[in-house]
Amino acid sequence: MGYLTFKYRKISGVCHIQSIVSFVEAEMTTSTHMALSIYPISEKAVTIAFGDSISEALMHRITNFDKLILERSLPGLQTTVPAYNTLSIFFDPLQVLKSNLPGKTCREKVSHYLEQLNETETTAIKSESQLITIPVCYGGALGPDLEDVAALNKITTGEVINVHSSATYLVHMIGFVPGFAYLGGMSETIAAPRKATPRAAIPAGSVGIAGMQTGIYPLQTPGGWQLIGQTPVKLFDPARPVPALLKAGDRVQFKSIGVNEFKDLQNRADAGTDN
Amino acid sequence: MNSKIYKTGQMRVRIIKSGLLSTVQDMGRTAGLPMAVPVSGVMDAYSARIANKAVGNAGEDAVIEFTYGGAVLEVETDILIACAGGGARLEIDKQMLPSGKPLFIPAGTIINLLNKPGGCRTYLAVAGGWNVPDVLDSKSTCLVAGFGGFEGRALQPGDVLSASGNLSALSQKILNSLKRTVVNCPKWQIPGRDASSSERKIIRVIRGHESGWFDEQSVGGFFAEPYKLSLKSNRMGYHLEGPLMARINKQELLSTAVTPGTIQVTGNGSLVLLMADCQTTGGYPRIAQVAAVDMPLCGQLQPGDELYFNEISWNEAERLYIEQEKHLHQLSATIENKYL
Repeated sequence: MGYLTFKYRKISGVCHIQSIVSFVEAEMTTSTHMALSIYPISEKAVTIAFGDSISEALMHRITNFDKLILERSLPGLQTTVPAYNTLSIFFDPLQVLKSNLPGKTCREKVSHYLEQLNETETTAIKSESQLITIPVCYGGALGPDLEDVAALNKITTGEVINVHSSATYLVHMIGFVPGFAYLGGMSETIAAPRKATPRAAIPAGSVGIAGMQTGIYPLQTPGGWQLIGQTPVKLFDPARPVPALLKAGDRVQFKSIGVNEFKDLQNRADAGTDN
Repeated sequence: MNSKIYKTGQMRVRIIKSGLLSTVQDMGRTAGLPMAVPVSGVMDAYSARIANKAVGNAGEDAVIEFTYGGAVLEVETDILIACAGGGARLEIDKQMLPSGKPLFIPAGTIINLLNKPGGCRTYLAVAGGWNVPDVLDSKSTCLVAGFGGFEGRALQPGDVLSASGNLSALSQKILNSLKRTVVNCPKWQIPGRDASSSERKIIRVIRGHESGWFDEQSVGGFFAEPYKLSLKSNRMGYHLEGPLMARINKQELLSTAVTPGTIQVTGNGSLVLLMADCQTTGGYPRIAQVAAVDMPLCGQLQPGDELYFNEISWNEAERLYIEQEKHLHQLSATIENKYL
C-alpha cells in the first residue's frame, strides 16, 4: 500500500495534523470472505479476532472493518473498540433482539450481521488517517532519564533524540488510560527496560520508553517508564469535542523543541487555544 | 409512558460530610471506550434503577453512589428522593428511612448515612435526576481522568447538588400525593435485591475466551472453591484471594477489549474481577465473565466476603438478562398504575 494523496493540511496552534488518504487494496483482497472468528465477551459485546500477531496490515484491516460497522450501523450499536488483533462491538441487547436480523440470540443476530458485512466488504476501501507531529522537549527536568537511556545504549543523548524524533510511529490501539496510544515503530537502538522503582506521579505529557515501546502519558499517573522528554500537547482533554488526540490507525512523529518553545506552547495549550 | 415534563423549583441537598467515596453516577459511558475512557457508572445498577423508579424517574437518571455510611446531607429545599442498595441506612432524627420508596422530605432536614452490615453501596435518586453536565453522553464521574459527575471528582463537604427540575408526570403525581410539612412516604415499596451478610454468595459466570489456557484442576477449583475479596478492591476491580490458576498455555495475550465483569488471571495465577472503573483493554487471559444480572451483587461485595462461582452458558446469561429487564419494566408499569 502507499500514500496517494495528501488531502489537506491543518496546522493547529500546538501540533501539526495532516490528513492522508490511503488505499489498502492488497491486504483486503486476500483477507475478505473468510469466515470471521467471533466470540462474546459479555451479554452486551462480542469480539472479532483477526489474527495472532501485531502487524500494520492487520491494523488496517481492523480500522477498515471498524469504519464499515460505524457506517452501516447495527441496530442497538453503542460503540466499537479496536485493539492490536481484535475489534470489539458493544450493543444494547434489547435493541438487537428487536431487530429483524436472523438468529434467536443477540450473539447469533450480531454474528450474522458481522458476517454479512464481511462478505459485502469491498476490496478497495479508502481510509483516511492522520499524521500528527508532536513537539517534545527532550532531556533536562522534563526528561530526567534521557542520559540513562543514552548510557544503556552506549550512544549520546543527541543520538537518542535523533533516533526517537526521526521515526514515524503507527498507533496500533488506544488503551490503558484515556488517550494512551500504543505506538509501533521504535528503533531498538534506544530500547530501555522499565525503572526498577516506578515513580509515584509522572506529569501528563511525559514521553517515555519501556522496553521496545515508546509512549506518552496522557494523564498524571504513577509509572515505571524511562522518561526522555515531555510534550506540551494535551493527549486527552474532555473539554474537546473529540477528547483523545490520537486514534488507532494514526501516524505520529516527534519533533524536538527547546524549553522556551515548550513553555510557550504549554501556555497556549492551557489557555485552550490549541484546537 | 407520559412524556410531559413538569417544571419545578430546583430540589437541592448540601453535603455536610462526604463519607468514604461518594460520586455522581448514571448507567455509564460507552462513547469513550474507543479512547480508553472507562465505562464508569453505578456499581450496582439494579439498586440504582430501583431508586430511580421509586421517585418516578422515566429514564436512568444520575444518582449519588455512597460507599458505606458516614455521609451527612442537609436537604435545602422540599425534596422527593429514594434510596436503595446496601452498606448504609439513612436516618432522620434517629428514625430509619425505608429503601425502595419515594420519600418526601421537607427543607432543613438533616439525613445521616450510618453503616449497615451487608452490602457496600447505597444509591440516592432524586425526582428529575441529579443535574450535572453530560460529558461524552454520560453524567458518570470518571475518577481516573477527573471529569464527568460533580466537577470530575468525589463529593466533598460543602458541595451543593441540584436536581434537574424536569419532573416526569409520574414524579409530579408522587410528589403531589406526598407533599406535607413532615417526612412522608407511601405504603408501597419496591423490594431490593441486597443479599444478607450471612448468605453464601454465589456469582454466576460464563467461561472466558482463554479458559482453556489453564489446567483442568485449576478450572475445576475455580468453580468449586471459595474466593475471598481482598482489601485491594475498589471501583476499578477486586483482587480475589483463593486457589491460584496454573497455565498450560504460556502464550502471550495481546491487549484486547475487556469489560466490567471480566475475571482476569494475572501473572502469578491470582484473579482480578474488573469493575465499573476498569481499563478498557487488558492483556491477561480471561477465565470467566460474570453474568450481567449478577454484577449488582458484585457491586455490593465487601473486602472479606467469600464468594463461589457457578457456571452458566451464554444463552442462559442472555435469558436471565432479558428476564430481569422485563421484570424492571413491569415494576415501572406497576408504579404507574398506582397513580392513574
